[in-house]
Amino acid sequence: MKAPLGTFVHARSGDKGGDANVGLWVRQGPRRDDRVAWLLWLVTPAFVRSLVPEAQSLEVEVFALPNLGGVNVVLHGLLGEGVAASTRFDPQAKALGEWLRSRLVEIPEELV
Amino acid sequence: MRIGNCSGFYGDRLSAMREMLEGGPLDVLTGDYLAELTMLILGRDRMRDQSLGYAKTFVRQAEDCLGLALERGVRLVANAGGLNPAGLAARLRDVAAALGLSVSVAHVEGDDLMPRAASLGLDGALTANAYLGGFGIARALARGADVVVTGRVTDASLVVGPCVWRFGWGRDSYDQLAGAVVAGHVIECGTQATGGNFSGFLSMPRSSEPLGFPLVEMSADGSSVVTKHDGTGGLVSVDTVTAQLMYEVQSTTYLNPDVSVDLASISLSEDGPDRVRVSGVRGSAPPSALKVCVNELGGFRNQLEFVLTGLDVEAKADWLRAQLEARLDPRPAVVDWTLSGRPVVDAASEEEASCLLRCTVQDPSGDAVGRAFSGVGVELALASYPGFTLTAPPARESPYGIYRPAYVPRDVVEEVVVFDDGRREVVV
Repeated sequence: MKAPLGTFVHARSGDKGGDANVGLWVRQGPRRDDRVAWLLWLVTPAFVRSLVPEAQSLEVEVFALPNLGGVNVVLHGLLGEGVAASTRFDPQAKALGEWLRSRLVEIPEELV
Repeated sequence: MRIGNCSGFYGDRLSAMREMLEGGPLDVLTGDYLAELTMLILGRDRMRDQSLGYAKTFVRQAEDCLGLALERGVRLVANAGGLNPAGLAARLRDVAAALGLSVSVAHVEGDDLMPRAASLGLDGALTANAYLGGFGIARALARGADVVVTGRVTDASLVVGPCVWRFGWGRDSYDQLAGAVVAGHVIECGTQATGGNFSGFLSMPRSSEPLGFPLVEMSADGSSVVTKHDGTGGLVSVDTVTAQLMYEVQSTTYLNPDVSVDLASISLSEDGPDRVRVSGVRGSAPPSALKVCVNELGGFRNQLEFVLTGLDVEAKADWLRAQLEARLDPRPAVVDWTLSGRPVVDAASEEEASCLLRCTVQDPSGDAVGRAFSGVGVELALASYPGFTLTAPPARESPYGIYRPAYVPRDVVEEVVVFDDGRREVVV
């Protein structure tokens, strides 16, 4: 079913120079192991680019941290030359995670 | 050992130092005041006045709390020294003297590479500071410092230092050091560990009471419990701690000057209300190079924000854009347009019927983006799309910096502790 990624996935995002950095993880709760397995399968560089079209031509890295139930994502160069120089709306990518959580994705019904 | 945090950035809640000292027992109270951008702000302060370049809010907090910290036996450890830790230490001694207090203030220096910037290939830098570890802080505490201020140490070093001092860890106590780095990373951003900026805010109490700042109860084996003082606002849960661990890490190995941390080894578990246990953390030898925070002057920028209301906003935006760009002489190196949102159809308020068109310009020279830019925008006020209005008066250009990381061999950086009596000790 189509539902917001944030249905059971939490996020926090920020900047490191010109790179945006987002953590995505499954909140504590029911069916957590299955939800974590799904999230780790779901989040690839291509998936991130599909949610963030402006990252289409950027290098995206995904680091899996199953012990913490999620992934750390680095979007290289999303913020140009960094917070002080960026012309981007939200130059520090502070709300990037909440934007991702609001995007609709296909979630297996048994996980919702 | 109980180590608290009372600041996650330069500008964080001023009253937090007092709240943390009064709210319950602590051995050490830390504060992080430095982000990459902060170094640039402090660099500009120092350009105006050589005696500045540190976090001035820390001085105000010390004026209010130094007596209280001494009375409670809590040591203060902060990176508030920024680009001028010696200047901050001197200022704190003046504050203590004015308050009639006997306080031992030490500082850690050696991170500032500007005097040797050219020979290190960092030409053109406005600021260049190596990220130092926690062993200098530990030496200062061991020699009896009540207050230790530093320049650019890593945020986690503010917790690593006191642990090394208290538990006597060696340079190769990698697992223990890694545990302290993780604990430090969790509390370095203040209330982001206790329910601030937290996706799960709907599941926590949301009163108007301020969020409590975090603290860690450190054990000699490097494990810890993250918690906060009783009766303070917010929440400490596995999710609030995960939030802090999951961001800014950039890899599965978190590199620090004292240890490389295996993030995949971290284990979190609930340990009662508002208590989360952090255990199992493994570490290995730190990288051979030290990371350097370099800020350069990037150029100048300016911005105009136009309000577009009602019908035909795309056509209004297109016309304005063509008019403005034709009159930009010289044309700035970067001219960036964004149209945010679209008016609601048949809106019942003017605000809902409006959207914002933002034009941001950048150029190496201030002239191209100063009045030459904003003046052109203003001149169109009666000569462009219907309903022309701006969200703010035209401004002058402002300078902006560019941050970049650099790396230098460890042996070019000499970390030095300067004790209260002026004696200097090189950290080995």
